[in-house]
Amino acid sequence: MFLFILKRLILLVPVFFVVSVVVFLIIHLVPGNPIDNLMRAGSSSAQRVQIAAKYGLDRSLAEQYFVWMSRLVTGDLGTSIIQGRPVGALIAQNLPYSLQLGGAALLFSALTGITAGVVAASFHGTRLDDGISGLILLGSTVPSFWLGLLLILIFAVWLGWVPISGARGWTSLILPVIAAGVGGIALVARVTRIAMIETARQDFVMLLHAKGLSPLVIQLRHVLRHALVPVVTILALRIGWILGGTVTIEYVFARPGLGSLLIRALNQRDYPLVQACLLMLAMAVILGTLIGDIVQAAMDPRQRQARS
Amino acid sequence: MLLTVEKLEIAFGVFSPVDDVTFSIDRGEILGIVGESGSGKSLTATAIMGLLSRIGGQIVAGRICFDGAELVALPERQLRRYRGGRIALITQNPMTSLDAMMRVGPQIDQAARLHLGLDRCAARTRSLELMADLRIPDPALVYGLYPHQLSGGMKQRIVIAMALAGDPELLVADEPTTALDVTVQAQIIQILVELVKRRGLAMILITHDMGVVAQTCDRVAVMYCGRVIEQAQVNAIFEDARHPYTQALIRCIPRRTMTRGSMQPIPGMVPNVADQPIGCRYNPRCPRVADNCLTEIPGLRIDTGDHGVACHMADVA
Repeated sequence: MFLFILKRLILLVPVFFVVSVVVFLIIHLVPGNPIDNLMRAGSSSAQRVQIAAKYGLDRSLAEQYFVWMSRLVTGDLGTSIIQGRPVGALIAQNLPYSLQLGGAALLFSALTGITAGVVAASFHGTRLDDGISGLILLGSTVPSFWLGLLLILIFAVWLGWVPISGARGWTSLILPVIAAGVGGIALVARVTRIAMIETARQDFVMLLHAKGLSPLVIQLRHVLRHALVPVVTILALRIGWILGGTVTIEYVFARPGLGSLLIRALNQRDYPLVQACLLMLAMAVILGTLIGDIVQAAMDPRQRQARS
Repeated sequence: MLLTVEKLEIAFGVFSPVDDVTFSIDRGEILGIVGESGSGKSLTATAIMGLLSRIGGQIVAGRICFDGAELVALPERQLRRYRGGRIALITQNPMTSLDAMMRVGPQIDQAARLHLGLDRCAARTRSLELMADLRIPDPALVYGLYPHQLSGGMKQRIVIAMALAGDPELLVADEPTTALDVTVQAQIIQILVELVKRRGLAMILITHDMGVVAQTCDRVAVMYCGRVIEQAQVNAIFEDARHPYTQALIRCIPRRTMTRGSMQPIPGMVPNVADQPIGCRYNPRCPRVADNCLTEIPGLRIDTGDHGVACHMADVA
């Protein structure tokens, strides 16, 4: 098991370089450049060349990549061209907000989704199951920004229970977490429900019933444990999403966060900032899958053996 | 009688894959239920366990009487006390019958803790004894293994230990060796029969292997298309089979004296549940069909020697 984790961690190094090349090329191949955003109207082309030289944008792509990467491996993420501040500081400033919102939303959607899935599967084929499945379908189709606006209207404007926007205090987190989490609830609930129904059809469940165990014990202690394996896969894929996936919610609730930072940087073609953000998101997704694999191996003895 | 099944009819929607099944079994007795795939053997076992609703079926007629109690009418909650505690099931496929994510030992403990009220420690001691009884080498080691670390034969022993853990009076063994290697089959059957005899249990042994029946059972019920077509003491079945289907089944047992090519398979196929023949269900394959075989389903007639047969022509031959 330890060897498996070590192997996977070592494998992250080449993945890191491949991802960095892709990220670098993507942003440089997009039309437009940060200089357009720095130039005032009527600036001469001489000034343009001067600015390009200042940020090294006049060199070849290979050279630029090499410069960026050689700084990156020493831990220097570079300086934002447009905002003029170190990229590391900008990310450090926004990261906690994203982690709070994304983490809370993931936890919220995992707990609610699993519960809903278990209830729906346990009452499979009844009205309760139909009701929950209907809500799940609704939840997976409602756009989160629209839900966010609706929640603001009801709970912040009409009822006045929570702040309308911003990121001050934990009450301002409630609505964004709900709005961002609903899509996840639907996904998790659906996977939990299907996996439980599938598991319940297996022979060993029949034999558990033949032992005289109560259906509740069978569902929670045996069937759910099996059903959680695919759920962990889904949740692991969403770990990366914690960091950058809540950008629409950040906009609706006027919250700072990595998503908004990235979108702004993209619009301004702020190369160093975009590269750092994208690279971090990509690594978060990959790390998320790794964590998912480790959790699954901890849960399932068959996988543990296959990987040791 | 410990268990009496009377005129049992099982329905899945509009179909009745089991119809008019009657048999009984007493303590210390091994009853073999024989038949081809689709004859309703496994469904009958599931019905006795009270688990039909789990697979979408229901009992529409008949009685299942266990030690004086009518099981068909019993609510689920009370039925659970019988399941595992007084009637236990041994399933067909040990590969899929164990929870792959749980160590095998605690899986044996479950029934003992539930039905005998033992604590974790006492249940463990009991499970280890059972495992030793089933000739599992090094029980303490095997106790802590996961199912995928065991061979098929070992897994089936665990399944048997699970069934015995709740100290049941009746074992329902649904083709307990079908999924195993031939070399292991005989061993498992031997261990099972020995345990049943030693503990004075009753066992319903469902199988399609007439050889196993001959070696182990006291009585036999032969099923065809969801009906019991003949039942008798095991000797009577082999020496004096009266139903043409039973006779054909016995002819299908390979013997050492047979010459190459002299095996006689039964012509035709088991009819589909949705497409049962009118009259006796064996009539499309039967060598001596009379007129009333095509119109009238023969009932099970039991003679003074406790030999029952459901065939219009049984006395004629």
